[in-house]
Amino acid sequence: MKVVVLLSAGRHPVSGLGALPRLEAQAIRLGAALGPMRGLHAGPDAEAVAEALGRGLSEIDHVALGAGADPVPALAAALRAAAPDVVLAGRRGQGGDETGLVPYALARALGATLIPDVIAARPGSEPGVIEVEQALPKGAARRLVVRSPVVLTVHSAAPEPRPYAFGQVRRGRIEPLAVSAPEEPAAVAIAEKPYRARPKMMRGAPAGGSAADRLKAATGGGEAVQADVMVSPEPREAARAILAYLRQVGVLPPPARAG
Amino acid sequence: MTYALPALVFVMVALATVQTLRRAAWWRLGAAAPVAWGAGLLALPKRYLVDVHHVVARDAYASRMHAVVAGGLLAATLLAALAALPPLGGSRIYWAAVALAFGVTAAGAVLVGARRYPKRPKRLSGGGFQILPVLLLAYAFGGLAAALLLAFGVASAPALVAAVALAAGGGLGLAYEVRSGPMRHAVAGALHLIAHPRPRRFDGGAPDAALVALDLDAPRLGVETPADLAWNRLLSFDACIQCGRCESACPAFAAGQPLNPKRLIQDLVAAATADERAYAGSPYPNARDVAAPTEPLFRVIGEGARIHPDTLWSCTTCRACVEECPMMIEHVDAIVSLRRHQTLELGAVPAKAAATLDNLRAAEELGGRPLAARVDFAAGAPLPVIGEREVDVLLWLGEGAYDLRYGRTLRALVKLLNMAKVDFAVLGAEERDTGDLARRLGDEATYQTLARANVATLARHRFKRIVTSDPHALHALRNEYRAFGATYEVVHHTAFLLELVEQGRLAPGALGGASVTYHDPCYLGRYNGETEAPRKLLDRLGLDRVEMARHGRRSMCCGGGGGAPVSDIPGDARIPDLRMAQAAETGAGIVAVACPTCTAMLEGVTGRTAEVKDIAELLLASVEAGR
Repeated sequence: MKVVVLLSAGRHPVSGLGALPRLEAQAIRLGAALGPMRGLHAGPDAEAVAEALGRGLSEIDHVALGAGADPVPALAAALRAAAPDVVLAGRRGQGGDETGLVPYALARALGATLIPDVIAARPGSEPGVIEVEQALPKGAARRLVVRSPVVLTVHSAAPEPRPYAFGQVRRGRIEPLAVSAPEEPAAVAIAEKPYRARPKMMRGAPAGGSAADRLKAATGGGEAVQADVMVSPEPREAARAILAYLRQVGVLPPPARAG
Repeated sequence: MTYALPALVFVMVALATVQTLRRAAWWRLGAAAPVAWGAGLLALPKRYLVDVHHVVARDAYASRMHAVVAGGLLAATLLAALAALPPLGGSRIYWAAVALAFGVTAAGAVLVGARRYPKRPKRLSGGGFQILPVLLLAYAFGGLAAALLLAFGVASAPALVAAVALAAGGGLGLAYEVRSGPMRHAVAGALHLIAHPRPRRFDGGAPDAALVALDLDAPRLGVETPADLAWNRLLSFDACIQCGRCESACPAFAAGQPLNPKRLIQDLVAAATADERAYAGSPYPNARDVAAPTEPLFRVIGEGARIHPDTLWSCTTCRACVEECPMMIEHVDAIVSLRRHQTLELGAVPAKAAATLDNLRAAEELGGRPLAARVDFAAGAPLPVIGEREVDVLLWLGEGAYDLRYGRTLRALVKLLNMAKVDFAVLGAEERDTGDLARRLGDEATYQTLARANVATLARHRFKRIVTSDPHALHALRNEYRAFGATYEVVHHTAFLLELVEQGRLAPGALGGASVTYHDPCYLGRYNGETEAPRKLLDRLGLDRVEMARHGRRSMCCGGGGGAPVSDIPGDARIPDLRMAQAAETGAGIVAVACPTCTAMLEGVTGRTAEVKDIAELLLASVEAGR
């Protein structure tokens, strides 16, 4: 299975010095389980991503672009030529002028499926199929089976990146890659505005009624909850209440009908 | 029959020479190293009689034992060989002298035996070492009997034959043991003293403790197999007599972490030798399972190799083992060169250490915090940042400045400097980490990057000298940055404050009543030989100073050096707990410290009864009490 990791020229969030985004370092570790892997970077300076060589990547293709040029056409052309089964990227950029949209734009250009927030990936049971684990909010995760080609963006809950090894940077290779793609300045579709606090909408909250009613409905409070509270009940009574609750939530089957 | 003993000596010397040459084949597997043979040979008597015996004498019994047995053995063997000369061989007075020398050897051999039998101390190795007194006794008593027979002119051929046979049994055994037995330490030790990789440590000045800079363009970085070590390092490991003084001094060993310096050295010997005898000393505490391959010169570190990585990462680089080693072996150099390979070539560092190294590389600070925040500890106190003007003192703040607890110490220091009207300034946001931690963790690349950046920064500013409260920074700036062509006068804050007190610029009052014990930071005491200034300063404060059993150059580490806190190898106890227990034994109410790492480690001990205070804090309290 052929794997390409997209590398970006990130910055350390505090010092502002050039650094490989942590998510991309995690992507390298994740991709190592899938098959032979190459890095791909489009930008003015290949040295910006040399750190990836110390994280377990041995080869990087570098598409030279002018500063401020849109990397998507060049990356899409390079990926069309390489035709990898899996393209890995971080779920967001780090410190550079990334939009976080590059993986989406590439997936559209390549006609590939995009699975965001991946924390693990392994080859599936048949060729051309990949099993991925996707992080969901609140620590949940789900397993998906996808058919290649696929673009995976890596979530920060993926395994820790491999420690940096200086000696491996010396042995790694960065190869210039020529692609025929129009070089055009990145479309700046982003406008900066000062932050404005907005009211937070509560999902599922009823529109009518008094404020107290809406709060009760939204927080699940109210008499219905209090009715379930039993103070020093008889053991038999308590057992009955517990059984009734367990039946209600479906842990126990409904009582068998007598006779 | 007068030729029997000289003949035996010649055979012994020949056998020992053959055995040495066989062993030398292993030393030659090591990498080339520059050795000043002439100077080393000339310096050998002084290195042996002064430097080695200075260390040996710390164990009075061992010292007397070794002087008697080694002196007697050499004298008796030499005198017996000279009996080959006709006028001497016929002289009964001469044989009496030979008998006396063998008698001394015999007394020494008894001392050797008495130390090992019936019960040998835990730190000594058994195995082949238990045979040593037997061989010595046979050689000494055989030689004594033969020389006495000749001295008294007893012409009993069977008696003489029996005596010489006994001497031959012991003597040839000793000579045979030169290749892989206990007697290897004598030959390898002498050669090691001549070809020592750090000849400057015998010069009598400050300790020679700076690590050697690594050539980052070398084909292989660090030490993977024993053959990557310089040949005189392999030789130095053969000098080990397995006396176990290193393991008694090692803080990681005491804490039950899987490190035993003696075992480590023996593992390195065994990793370079096909038929090394089995090790018979104390093991690594809580030894991790390894699957050691049988072939020599395989990679040394790894779960599938001879030494488990946890052993390597347990070391605090405190140099206690180096300080205690009577054979002048440099354990810490070996550990750091092994770590360099793990970190630089394999990227096999403990996870928490890897995160710290990432911060050092990308943020030039080990917590990934903004460099400008380093001066936040001052909390509004006057703290001049260096500008165009030349200042007398550049105050190097170090990593401790980010620590809330250590901020108190630095505020005290800054207040004292202001009180004494010292013309000082800090680098502010231009100060980066010195790279000390990266270097001890084997990340020489990051260290060199940081060191070059710091040297360039310092070259832009004008100052007379650097004062720092961090002995790790002091060691880097003073000793290790020399490799980058930078020489600074670096003063530890305790020495600088003592100077101010002695000049009358600070007037300490008496802090009566309290008793204090001073904990020497390894990087100040053992690495830089500075143990007196802090004590003199404490004595000026009117405190009742008591010493822990381990103090000065022989102090015990707080557990905070060498990246041990970030490697975090589990053991049975924590090193700072052990050290605070030692401090509690003195009954002192205050443990005086002089290092941000020691402060953090010792103050982190739970249930401690003593207060942990930096000397700057104590001095400030005393100066304020005196007003």
